[in-house]
Amino acid sequence: MDRRTFLATTGAAASTLAAGCTGLTGGGSSGEDTLVVATYGSFIDSPSSSPGAWLKQRFEEEHDARVVFQTPSNELNHYVERKKAGVDIDADLYLGLNTEDLVRVDENLEDSLFVEAGDIGGLDSVKSGLQFDPQDRAVPYDTGYVSLVYDGTQMTAPETFEGLLDEEFEGDLIAQNPASSSTGRAFLLHTVHEYGEDGYLDYWENLQDNGVTVLGEWGDAYTAWEEGEAPMVVSYSTDRVFADQSGSNMEKHKIRFLEDEAYANPEGMAVFEDAASPDLARDFMEFVLTPEVQGELAVQNVQFPATTDADLPDDYAELAQSPPTPVTFSYDELQGSVSGWIEDWTRQFASN
Amino acid sequence: MLGAAAVLISLLLVGVFYYPVGRVFVEAVVVGGQVTLGVIWDVLSDPFYTGELGRLLSGASPGSVVRRLFGGRARLGIVGFTAYQAALSTLASVALGLPGAYLLARYEFPGRRTLRSLTMLPFVLPSMMVAIGFVATFGSEGTLNAVLGTLGLGHVKLLYTLEAIVVAHAFYNAPLVVRMTTAAWESVDASAVETARSLGASPLHAFRTVVAPQLVPAVLMSAALTFVFTFGSFPIVLALGGYQLSTVEVFVYQLIRDFSYAEAAALALLELGISLALMYGYLRYEARHAARTRGARPLPRKSLLPDRLTGRELLPRLGLAAYGVVAALVFLAPIASMLYASVSGPTGLTLDHFQFLVERQTTGAQFQVRPLPAIRNSLLFGVASLALALPMGVVVAVLTTRDYRGRSLVGAVAMAPLAVSGIVVGLGLLRGLVFGAEIAGHRIAVDGAAAIVAAHAVAGYPFVVRVVAPGLDRLDPSLVESARALGAPRIRALLDVELPLVWPAVVAGAAFAFAISIGEFTATAVLANSTGQYTMPVAIQRFIGRRLGPATAMGVVLLVVTALSFVCIERLGGERDGL
Repeated sequence: MDRRTFLATTGAAASTLAAGCTGLTGGGSSGEDTLVVATYGSFIDSPSSSPGAWLKQRFEEEHDARVVFQTPSNELNHYVERKKAGVDIDADLYLGLNTEDLVRVDENLEDSLFVEAGDIGGLDSVKSGLQFDPQDRAVPYDTGYVSLVYDGTQMTAPETFEGLLDEEFEGDLIAQNPASSSTGRAFLLHTVHEYGEDGYLDYWENLQDNGVTVLGEWGDAYTAWEEGEAPMVVSYSTDRVFADQSGSNMEKHKIRFLEDEAYANPEGMAVFEDAASPDLARDFMEFVLTPEVQGELAVQNVQFPATTDADLPDDYAELAQSPPTPVTFSYDELQGSVSGWIEDWTRQFASN
Repeated sequence: MLGAAAVLISLLLVGVFYYPVGRVFVEAVVVGGQVTLGVIWDVLSDPFYTGELGRLLSGASPGSVVRRLFGGRARLGIVGFTAYQAALSTLASVALGLPGAYLLARYEFPGRRTLRSLTMLPFVLPSMMVAIGFVATFGSEGTLNAVLGTLGLGHVKLLYTLEAIVVAHAFYNAPLVVRMTTAAWESVDASAVETARSLGASPLHAFRTVVAPQLVPAVLMSAALTFVFTFGSFPIVLALGGYQLSTVEVFVYQLIRDFSYAEAAALALLELGISLALMYGYLRYEARHAARTRGARPLPRKSLLPDRLTGRELLPRLGLAAYGVVAALVFLAPIASMLYASVSGPTGLTLDHFQFLVERQTTGAQFQVRPLPAIRNSLLFGVASLALALPMGVVVAVLTTRDYRGRSLVGAVAMAPLAVSGIVVGLGLLRGLVFGAEIAGHRIAVDGAAAIVAAHAVAGYPFVVRVVAPGLDRLDPSLVESARALGAPRIRALLDVELPLVWPAVVAGAAFAFAISIGEFTATAVLANSTGQYTMPVAIQRFIGRRLGPATAMGVVLLVVTALSFVCIERLGGERDGL
């Protein structure tokens, strides 16, 4: 870059600054016909496939409304902070809640962040067992299963949790920090489910002795696994869908359901109590539960549909595997417990 | 003039730093409307955090603590371990940085200036990129093991150990040591060395008595900054070390995520206290050891090719060659791996990931993050915050190099933006600026581009202060006094007399301010008021999907854009050879 292009770039940049200051970029304000959907970044930006754009276009076609996405970097916590600070929440709906999120939010706010979903169409077709909110605020829209992914060219993964403690598999597993990563948390909760709250820490002590590697985020762990640091990683049971899309060697992407189980992680959506357009938000929830959208979401978000009547492509089940027995903790089981389980684990695992 | 500038700077610092951060810290000492030291005490006396100190404070007998300290079974606690790894990382960074500074300051070779500009590159790389580069270089199937295997030297397990963290921290921070020490070395006055030599001093003796006293402060300063940075390190520790090697910042993050504000604030205060104490200690040292100088005709550089084949000519050059091998492994190999990752896929070499960037730019929806706006915003924020941080830093440097009581304390507090937990800064900006305050029925909130630039400038100005202040301090005060006596206002004396004499430091400060802005993530993500103000690091974060290629390709874009910018800054800054 020579000095002239450098200056030209700076000039262009300066005009952007002016635009930014005058707020021309907009977004966030909600009028009658605007629906502000708060969600996590990868729902609209993920490079492989993100359902945001398709969802927005279809909804806008069917309803005379505009969809605006809000994706704050600290996700759901952003809205809890707003609520705590007494600042208006300028979104109508949050999309991307799981059970643990809801427990955490409810435990930390005096008033509820969300309102009851009410009588919305399509709720009857939601699979039994996925409804995770006893107060009927969150409506599930998809579910994922957290399992082991292993490199079949290197090994055959053990079939049980005890098997992971075998000398043969020393140093072979990469997991994620349960305090910050949802896959890591699901795996920890699966061990609590297996060994009970009195036994899971002993199991982890053995697992740590057998050289388990716990990294920060899913991306750290998956990179390390792809580079061959260890042959097993905690990830999603839909891993083979992505492997197939990117033309990977499918032998390297095998799924193992320990104990024939996997931890189910249903994702839900809920209407904010402060929503400016609560009715439109409910229309949106109905729309998301329709068979067409459920099928498309499952494909684009690479998760399993939440309803029994989704329009799925015929070959969907071949690559996306679901466990013989899904396990999960209910809201009531997590309430008052999950933060303690995680804290006890962190204090044991990181102690030095 | 300087007074007015000082007032404006103070307002800016209070507005976008001290007030927002203070709002978070106050939760450590005010709980439920009551002032209490209970939370801080709880953190201090928790052996999980403070190890043997915590055991002592929580009632363990002093005898048992002493026995464990001397019996090699002492618990470090999270804080102790964090300090320990930071100390090791600092040593490694200095060891890797000093030979680089020697090479850049004392030798002439083609591409020297470009190399000097590029030394700062590692400093701006997002942790995700560094993790990819390190796994590919130091992993069990990485470059290092491939080389060792070929040479028949066996196999090393480096990842997920303390060593991996230390090397990664050296990758990030040795550039700091190189840059600061080079700037100091280039400001050494050649005539002082010549005088010493003409009085019969050996080259070694002249180095020890004339050059070294001017380098030591810069080395110690960069060491102190490295310690502060690595003490507050977070994502890279979890990516390359693993959770069993967690640092304090990991827990600050987790506590805030769980809304345990009081404990998080107390822990972050402890973290800040340790960093500032170290900084204060350094500044006390610097104040006592300032060497006076009148000007800067830099030392002449030697040719990298030896003139004669004598031991004295060959030895240092052989040493530099050995250093070159190590530097290639630690710096070049990971960066080369990043480049390679951006063009490789499961089936071999591919341009798919860059193709994705082009597609996202041309067909991406308005609300999606696109590459070109990210580049434009990064450059814009970088240049604007440089333009703000540079005068800020120079003014603060001038004010803090005056002699007055408590000067070291003021200097240490001015460093606070580097030492406060990034997580706390993010939360403070969210509460203090984005949410704003209710004033006369109106909510006054500050966000968007201007706030981002201000936050970046506040984060970058301490660097300018730290590289410029020692140079100013060393200048003979009679220079300014004679300028003033001849009728020059204070500002003229600064611009015409002092700054030209410390110019290498000013350019280095500018490069730092720009680098801080380019690499910054938390404040940018918090302050962006719509999808319109994302920068390159934000785009990288957003492009992380089930395939890592697209994020890596964006990372390479950041690498290239930043490299060009550094070269531009240094070319525009020029290389002034003293008076």
